[in-house]
Amino acid sequence: MSVFIASIGFGLVTAAVLALASVGFTLQFAVTNVLNLAYGGVMIVAAYAAYALNERGVNIWISAPAAILIGAVLSVLLNNLIYTPFGRRGTTPIAMVIVALGMTLILEFGTQALAGPTNVSYIMSQGATVKLGSIELTVVQLVIIGLSIVVMILVHGLIRYTRLGKAMRATAANRNLARNCGIRTDRVITVTWLISGALCGLAGLTFAMNSGTFGATSTDIFLVLILAAVFLGGPGEPYGAMLGALIIGLATEVSASIIVSDYKDVVAFVILLAMLTIRPTGLLGARA
Amino acid sequence: MVYYITTLLVYAGVDAIACLGLSQQFGVGGVTNFGFIIFQAAGAYVAGALSLPSDHVDGGFQSYILGWHLPFPFPWIGATVVGGLLAIPFALIVGKRIRGDFAAIGLLVTAVMFNLLVTNYVPLFNGAAGLSLVPSPLQGSFNPQSTGYQWGYGIVAILVAFATYLFVTRITESPYGRSLRAMRDNDTVADSLGKNVRSLRTSSLIIGGAIAGLSGGVLVGFINLWDPQAWGYAETVVLFAAVIIGGLGNHRGAMLGAVLVPVAFEEATRYIPPVPGNPNLIPALQWVVIGLLILVFLWFRPQGILPERRRKLATRFASEPGMQPGAMDSAPAPLADFAGPVTGPKPVGVTETEVTETETVGVGAADGQADAPPATSDVILECRDLVREFDGVRAVDGVSMAFQRGRLTGIIGPNGAGKSTVLAMLAGTLPSTSGQILFKGEDVTRLPAFRRARMGLVRTFQLASEFKRLTVLENLLTAIPDQEGDSFVGALRGRRRWGAQERELIDSAQAMLERFGLLGLADRYAGDLSGGQRRLVEIMRALMAQPAVLLLDEPMAGVHPRLAHDIGMQLVRLCEEGTTIVMVEHELSIMDEFCDPVYVLADGRVLAQGAMAALRAKEEVVEAYLVG
Amino acid sequence: MSADVELGVPDLPTGSVEGVELNTVDLTVGYDGSPVIHGVSINVAPREVVSIVGPNGSGKSTLLKAIVGVLEPLGGSIRVGGRDVTGWRSENIARIGVGYVPQIDDVFAPLTVRENLEMGGYLLKSREVAPRIDHVMSVFPQLSRMAGRRAGKLSGGERKMLAMGRALMLAPALVVLDEPTANLAPIVAAAVLQQHVRQLAATGASVLVVEQRARAVLEISDRTYVLGGGQVRMEGTPAELATSSEFVESFLGGNTRSGV
Repeated sequence: MSVFIASIGFGLVTAAVLALASVGFTLQFAVTNVLNLAYGGVMIVAAYAAYALNERGVNIWISAPAAILIGAVLSVLLNNLIYTPFGRRGTTPIAMVIVALGMTLILEFGTQALAGPTNVSYIMSQGATVKLGSIELTVVQLVIIGLSIVVMILVHGLIRYTRLGKAMRATAANRNLARNCGIRTDRVITVTWLISGALCGLAGLTFAMNSGTFGATSTDIFLVLILAAVFLGGPGEPYGAMLGALIIGLATEVSASIIVSDYKDVVAFVILLAMLTIRPTGLLGARA
Repeated sequence: MVYYITTLLVYAGVDAIACLGLSQQFGVGGVTNFGFIIFQAAGAYVAGALSLPSDHVDGGFQSYILGWHLPFPFPWIGATVVGGLLAIPFALIVGKRIRGDFAAIGLLVTAVMFNLLVTNYVPLFNGAAGLSLVPSPLQGSFNPQSTGYQWGYGIVAILVAFATYLFVTRITESPYGRSLRAMRDNDTVADSLGKNVRSLRTSSLIIGGAIAGLSGGVLVGFINLWDPQAWGYAETVVLFAAVIIGGLGNHRGAMLGAVLVPVAFEEATRYIPPVPGNPNLIPALQWVVIGLLILVFLWFRPQGILPERRRKLATRFASEPGMQPGAMDSAPAPLADFAGPVTGPKPVGVTETEVTETETVGVGAADGQADAPPATSDVILECRDLVREFDGVRAVDGVSMAFQRGRLTGIIGPNGAGKSTVLAMLAGTLPSTSGQILFKGEDVTRLPAFRRARMGLVRTFQLASEFKRLTVLENLLTAIPDQEGDSFVGALRGRRRWGAQERELIDSAQAMLERFGLLGLADRYAGDLSGGQRRLVEIMRALMAQPAVLLLDEPMAGVHPRLAHDIGMQLVRLCEEGTTIVMVEHELSIMDEFCDPVYVLADGRVLAQGAMAALRAKEEVVEAYLVG
Repeated sequence: MSADVELGVPDLPTGSVEGVELNTVDLTVGYDGSPVIHGVSINVAPREVVSIVGPNGSGKSTLLKAIVGVLEPLGGSIRVGGRDVTGWRSENIARIGVGYVPQIDDVFAPLTVRENLEMGGYLLKSREVAPRIDHVMSVFPQLSRMAGRRAGKLSGGERKMLAMGRALMLAPALVVLDEPTANLAPIVAAAVLQQHVRQLAATGASVLVVEQRARAVLEISDRTYVLGGGQVRMEGTPAELATSSEFVESFLGGNTRSGV
């Protein structure tokens, strides 16, 4: 039983990282209608960016902004230089998937070419272990959870209460009509990719922290968890992504305590496939 | 050195086989199966596990299923069969109506998941370590390490690739292949012309899967091992890249891509000396370059190095010069004086009829028959209380109509009256919310469109729905039912079986083209034609389907009035020969000339029916048009 | 479809609008290089309701889309309030006071009625938004009863009210409406045209409306253009047109279809 409860703790950490990643991913889909499968690639590049500073002696928390910055910039470049031009040419959705996969190869293996094939770790202290009943988490893990919660609140505030948030929602709902309201949708889209890119970078950083060791292709499986969370909540729905992240994060870790831990990610796969075939609009999506 | 070349040959052969399978599935059938690598992996595993002895032997350090120690060629056969069988559950996912990119993700994820399962469930195929010491074919009789054997294997691999090429080409260049390509270009329209799209897709998956399985079997017999690392999702991307770069829809292109990407590219980079201090640099950069190649090709040359060939089937050519797209826009030459009926193929023992005046069809309108309902005796198609409700809006609100055999019935009404929706429901391309549809006395309300088409109920579409990457002639040929070569078995039997019939069908298609004045465009891609010409192709194609009832959705839209008149005459002739035609139109003059009776729809209901002249005199009809 | 939309009689809105003149000169617009309309010149003056009618496929929607910046013209020019706005992007055209009510995709479906109106008022200063919403809701009282409902769940008539209300949020000087009565029951359609479209001009704006329901829109128009085959075939006041047999023919006859 205590293993079960302990796994809830781990589930919350995974959910925290997943939430950062999924909200970013879903925002990108919301405003541009593109499934950015290179998201995992950007995450890992951001993680390595922080590592580049970290291995030279900079404290990981001070290196963190590097990850966030790289995530943001890289994402905007990806959209403006790759996805938008291909989209304007009338590239089919399936060809866009192939484009995204090609970008993933470039990002991940480009990183591997520079950084080498062996896995690395951040030079950092995980901090003391904190016990809350049967739940045992390190300080770093608690920080990650806290960070994620703060960011979710900020995202909520952004979407609900700021002018930019309104413009984002309008652009996502009906781009042409948004333009007829005077909204400069191109700018809105760029800013959305900047923000979601920052989330992507932060997700990459926390992912790397939580994983211990990581390599250039470590996010490949994690991308599937992101997709599962996004589709569970409904593609394009930020609150859906948060809910999805919580469910997937908990489900995978809890199932690891019940069934053999090697298969824990299979739960996410099954949920994703079920959502795709039964209700692609997700739990919080508009209509079936 | 010898080993190097023979290894290259085997890999070239294996990659070619795999790419041909993908080319058939994706390039011809239009099925995007991002889980493709699973089939190759399954083939390799099964071939390995079949040829290995039971896993207790050899000290039992591996654990796997099967282990029947089967001799060559059974492992290869097993690999092929399993690859094909595995495709069946995939067919269930792929057919669903979800967005292309969502489906792609589902399949990609499935591939990753299988990899995970196989890696972790050791009793299946020995988990992460994979299978090793897989016997080579015929290793009892020959020494697998010998030069002769190695050369033999290389040559066999190439031969199998060549045989696969012949196989997929035979399928693709048959009427069956044409149906596959039609489905790829526009599955809704293919469905409306009688193609069983679901079964076509499933067979594409099975064929592709079987070929992929075979490629796995051939490979594992050579390298004698197979583990999950060999088939990650990066390998899937490489296969797709190879097919796209080589040329989508062209099997030679697929082979070229196979040779260029996995083989030549890897080999070329092998000669770059490793960078000291970063030995992984070159392999990693290989992947980066593949990614770049994908982007570059998709941007600059998405059709690939060897694009899909245009099939030139025409045997006759237009006598008048200057038959170009756009020729239809100016006043066209009058349609050839049509002798003989306008129906499709097999004009055997036909009596020549002369051009009759169209007035005979419209006559009788003025003498008070305006409101008489058609006699129920010879009703071939009818709908009762048909309703279509979607998103809270009732586009069709209880429509009942009866269409008599051999008549040219018109349906008119202002925009938004529901005309096209009714037509779509009659044809089966749109489901009805409630109501009944009876065709030839049978209730077809729940029957899918392709079955109705096979029963003789065929429709045309309002918006461009030609098969863009098929020629005009091919467009017409796809519609003809009961073709010998239009099944998997028929295609396999080869040109000897269906060639004669095909020649006849080409002849009749050309005759049709000639009558409509488009013979010179027979070998042009249908997607390249002007709007009016595409409209004509659509009508001709529907006629080739030999329908009992033809549903036309605004056939005259964008057509020159003179030509519209000529088409109308053709339609009248068809009715005289027994075809029933229902025509939705906006052009009221067409109704005047050709249609009797005419239904007026407004706001989703039947407003009036009868002969056009009488309807024109009716207040409410005029109001409906001006009021909207 | 029943008359499910209650019609309030609106008061004269608080404050009137400075209408602007719209001129298109020799406008040619099309898709992929092939023109759908050619050489179209129309004018709309402040306080005028100008309608464009014509059979299906005559290019009415295409003309409107060019005016509001959704399509870039192939030739000719567009002037709003004397300013040349040819080829301007739609967000910038909106910013100079042009309000557009499209035929389809006319609301933000996942957002509530109130949020739709807020979006309409995106360019306003935040303190101006609430009073403006109140004003629009007084023009369309049904909207205030549905303020919290998702726009996607509204009926056809309610949606159109919302679409018009959203456009009104910026008190546009030129209002462009694309078939505002499409899919509405005749009674509702008449009300929309008479109560609301006509009213827009009364407040000072210039109003350009495309309609299929020729009779109904003629009743509220100051001038009408008849479009056919991508060109202006006739122009005149309702009185002139209604008595013209050519006018009736152009709808019921077949000679206005372009033979492209």
